Amino acid sequence: MQSNRLGWILLAPTLAILFFFGVLPFIYVVYVSFHQWNPFAADPTMIFNGADNFRKIVFDAEFLNSVGVTVLFVLFAVISELVVGYILAQAFMKEFPGKAIFRTIHTLPLIMAPIIVGSVWKLMMTPSIGIIPHYLNEWFGITVNIGTSPVAAFATIIIMDIWHWTPLVTLTLIAALVSLPPDPFEQAQIDGANKRQIFFHITVPMIAPAVVATVFIRLMDALRTVDEVWMLTGGGPGSATRFVGVHIFKEVFPKTNYGYGSTISVIVLYLTIVACWLLYVTMLAPRSKKD
Amino acid sequence: MNTVFKLAASALALSFAAGMANADDAFWKEAAAPYQGVTLRGVTESSPPSLYIREVLAPQFEELTGIRVDIETTSWDQMFDKAIKDMEAGTGIYDMVYIEQDIVYSYLARDFLTDTTQLLADNPALKAPTYDEGNFTTFADYFRGENGHLYGIPMEAFIKIYLYRTDLFEDPEIQASFKEKTGRDLAPATTHAEYTEIAKFFYEYGQENDLQLWGATVQGHTGHPASWYEYVETVAPTFGIYNWGIDADNNYAATVANGGEMNSDTAKEALQWWLDLRQYAAPESNQSTWTEVGTTFGAGRAAQGLVYGENAGWIAADDTKSLVVGKVGVALPPLADGVMAEVEGGEGYIGYYDGGAFGLPSTSKNKEAAALFLEYIGQNEVQPDWAVAAPRVTNTATYDDPKVQDMNEELGGYYDMLRDKGYLFAGAPAYPFHAQLREAMAPTFYSILTGDSSVSDGLDKMAEIAEATLTELGYRK
Amino acid sequence: MKKNNPIIAIVFWSLVSFLTLFPIYWLFVISVKPAVQLFSTPDVILSDPYWGNYAKVWGDRLLRSYMVNSLVISTGNALLCTILGFFACYALSRFKMAGKESLFFWTITNRMAPPAVFLLPLFLLMTQVYAVGDFRLLDTRIGMILVYCTFNLPFAIWTLRPTLDGIPKELDEAAYVDGASSWKVITEIVFPLCRPGLAVTLILTWVFAWNEYLLAATLTNFNARTLTTGLSEYVTTTGTEWGIMATISVFTLIPALIVFGLVQKHIVAGLTFGAVKG
Repeated sequence: MQSNRLGWILLAPTLAILFFFGVLPFIYVVYVSFHQWNPFAADPTMIFNGADNFRKIVFDAEFLNSVGVTVLFVLFAVISELVVGYILAQAFMKEFPGKAIFRTIHTLPLIMAPIIVGSVWKLMMTPSIGIIPHYLNEWFGITVNIGTSPVAAFATIIIMDIWHWTPLVTLTLIAALVSLPPDPFEQAQIDGANKRQIFFHITVPMIAPAVVATVFIRLMDALRTVDEVWMLTGGGPGSATRFVGVHIFKEVFPKTNYGYGSTISVIVLYLTIVACWLLYVTMLAPRSKKD
Repeated sequence: MNTVFKLAASALALSFAAGMANADDAFWKEAAAPYQGVTLRGVTESSPPSLYIREVLAPQFEELTGIRVDIETTSWDQMFDKAIKDMEAGTGIYDMVYIEQDIVYSYLARDFLTDTTQLLADNPALKAPTYDEGNFTTFADYFRGENGHLYGIPMEAFIKIYLYRTDLFEDPEIQASFKEKTGRDLAPATTHAEYTEIAKFFYEYGQENDLQLWGATVQGHTGHPASWYEYVETVAPTFGIYNWGIDADNNYAATVANGGEMNSDTAKEALQWWLDLRQYAAPESNQSTWTEVGTTFGAGRAAQGLVYGENAGWIAADDTKSLVVGKVGVALPPLADGVMAEVEGGEGYIGYYDGGAFGLPSTSKNKEAAALFLEYIGQNEVQPDWAVAAPRVTNTATYDDPKVQDMNEELGGYYDMLRDKGYLFAGAPAYPFHAQLREAMAPTFYSILTGDSSVSDGLDKMAEIAEATLTELGYRK
Repeated sequence: MKKNNPIIAIVFWSLVSFLTLFPIYWLFVISVKPAVQLFSTPDVILSDPYWGNYAKVWGDRLLRSYMVNSLVISTGNALLCTILGFFACYALSRFKMAGKESLFFWTITNRMAPPAVFLLPLFLLMTQVYAVGDFRLLDTRIGMILVYCTFNLPFAIWTLRPTLDGIPKELDEAAYVDGASSWKVITEIVFPLCRPGLAVTLILTWVFAWNEYLLAATLTNFNARTLTTGLSEYVTTTGTEWGIMATISVFTLIPALIVFGLVQKHIVAGLTFGAVKG
């Protein structure tokens, strides 16, 4: 085996880039988070205020609300994507005419920019004139108004997210299912196991790593969702879809509240890392140790 | 856009022709001589007046002076962020920034802008014979500092007006039916009750005849500050609540308890009136910003509405975008009793006078060349074609131009109203904390719109938040 | 293998495809409607398309330059991230470096940062620190390529790690015994075996970079503006130019579609995410 020096050399460019464009900005944000700083306050300079911002955040109802809706959104969206993605991946395991074409079609949403996805859905969902509310009303007499109904707005965002990101889940699950060895399944069938038993005792454990890896990526990305929501609802109605990403955006852009906005970001980043770390150590790390 | 570019192209041809014969060419060439090779950079919102600068005035200026002008056009919220970051960090990326009327006080408070009056006084060689601050309408006064000097060259100005559909209001059958139902003649409303009555009438008319027509526009987005703007800038003043209900001379008081008016009974009445209008407004109004209000009216889905002047132009005249060309009338907004007398007496205003200017950041490294360009776009000579391409008037002389007069006809007399009644309207109050306070109050305001808060509780809470935020920002002692 | 009725599968997939395609179809419909028709009662069936928006977008000098910038930035970034990610994963998978698992996890955390607040320090760094003479990193293509590494490099490392782990170490060792240099082992033995994984990483990082909006909107001004920032120019106070926006969107889809089509067959093979038999 070669020396570790080569390993560090290979890692060096990655670490350097992440240091200059990830770590340094992060240090700056942490530094700012201990200050009161709004360039349009009576005193526009940075004023050190210790842990005041961190104390304030605990009682900040708007922030806590945004964390709540974000968690709800991530849970709904990621679980739905997983379920739908699995069903579709299983459906792709069978041979049928036109499979390649259908698979290509199914990957199309992936290549659309979030800001474009948000725009299209906004146009489709505009109350009364958008095609979806229009025909729901004309055919079924259902009135959907994402400007007044928090449930409609929230559901639209989840459906939009499912539409946009399920293909990624499907693809990774297909990859996992394709690489499953056939022997355990054949053996189980010989032993007379039913479909449910096979699913829970053989399929699930074997594709678990791929599932977790996919959930990990989706979790990370869903937690920082901004563009689509910004285009679709702007965080409304009220604060129903004001996810943390949107909340931070409003705090640092129009409000220019750089100090407190940094504090929120540090906390959000911390919570994200903790959530992902827990997922990582409980689900993935043990497996790689076994290898 | 179509028209803008068509008009822009013809304007370009015309102004080149005019430019040839212009005796002042010599001044520009001489004044620009020291700045050859300079590229000026500006950032602005991608509105039609700005696009006209990018597509017509900038190339024209470059032709004349050899100074290149790059204009970055971007969306409303991006534009502020980019300009502020540049000026705050002192990077000097931009030589010109768009200053919306409501943010100028923030920029002035931070000394972000160059005093153009002083700059030209100090450098007589830069002073163009065709440029004179006295040419501007009174709108320019919003961009003056405490010393009376000009810190921005006005480039667009509008008033938010009451638009109504002349084809509906003048239809004899509709008039008769209105008279029968209400006992009075159908005419643009002068009071809030009349406005609601007309809204209700046309709402029912649309329902009965199965038309895609509603009684009014409401800029009522439940997650975008546009709704808050419509209330504080357009609705509240017509009830006599000015400056957001905050008393700047009284330690920025907002609550009634401290001497403010934000949660006064009148304010509550005003908000309730506006909220009630929503039942007669098109269903998309809960998702409408200024953009969609224009679109709703332009699509012929509203009989009347309070619409930003920058949209009045295309709604009334651009048949590639609007279905109601030639069917639009303008009027003053409906008012509560006594408001007009108050405003005529010099206190308050009846609606929003908005627009923007081009300013020269203190951090610019090409101040002299940028000053030349600002003078160029401030001349009377370039105004008429610009006003035709993108309806906006910043210079008094522009009103008298025959082209602008024709346009005035097309717009149902909008320019006449801007000239004659403009003094009744006012820009945003002189607050250096405009966006900061708006965003602090907005979530509460949205919760009133969604019904999660009552009008009374919501406004009480908003007033308290306003005071708390101003204390935190250090303006309220 | 079980016998399946292909009719059911085809009906099922047609339905799913309809749902998948509808928003994309609607994007196209918006792009070929004149503005005046957009806010009337919607028709599902397209009649009498209007191509004016396409002529306008294609004829726009600025948008063409945005397109070039987008292509250069996303291709450059995807190549950089894939190659660096490959090297990094090779190191993480083959060497017993102290704390490498923590390091691995740390690289991933770079993708978790909420971007809005990081714009200010990035802006300051790229204007004041990463600058030599008149040159500064802000508003340059290379600057954007490097900035996009903050979210794409973690992704590349995350997707490539299982691929690298899945290639038996014995292969490298056998080559070393034969006297091959490290460089030769990495480029000629391991690299070819990783092709499917590399293809997937390349395409997905490319798509993420191609679609990024917020960083590009803030960190570019004139020279490096991308197509997605071009979109925001059409959201104005006097009306959003939905037709033009949709047309630009269609233009952004085409290159993405081509790139995606090219590597379609590698995608499934490459997204193994640790499901490899080990």
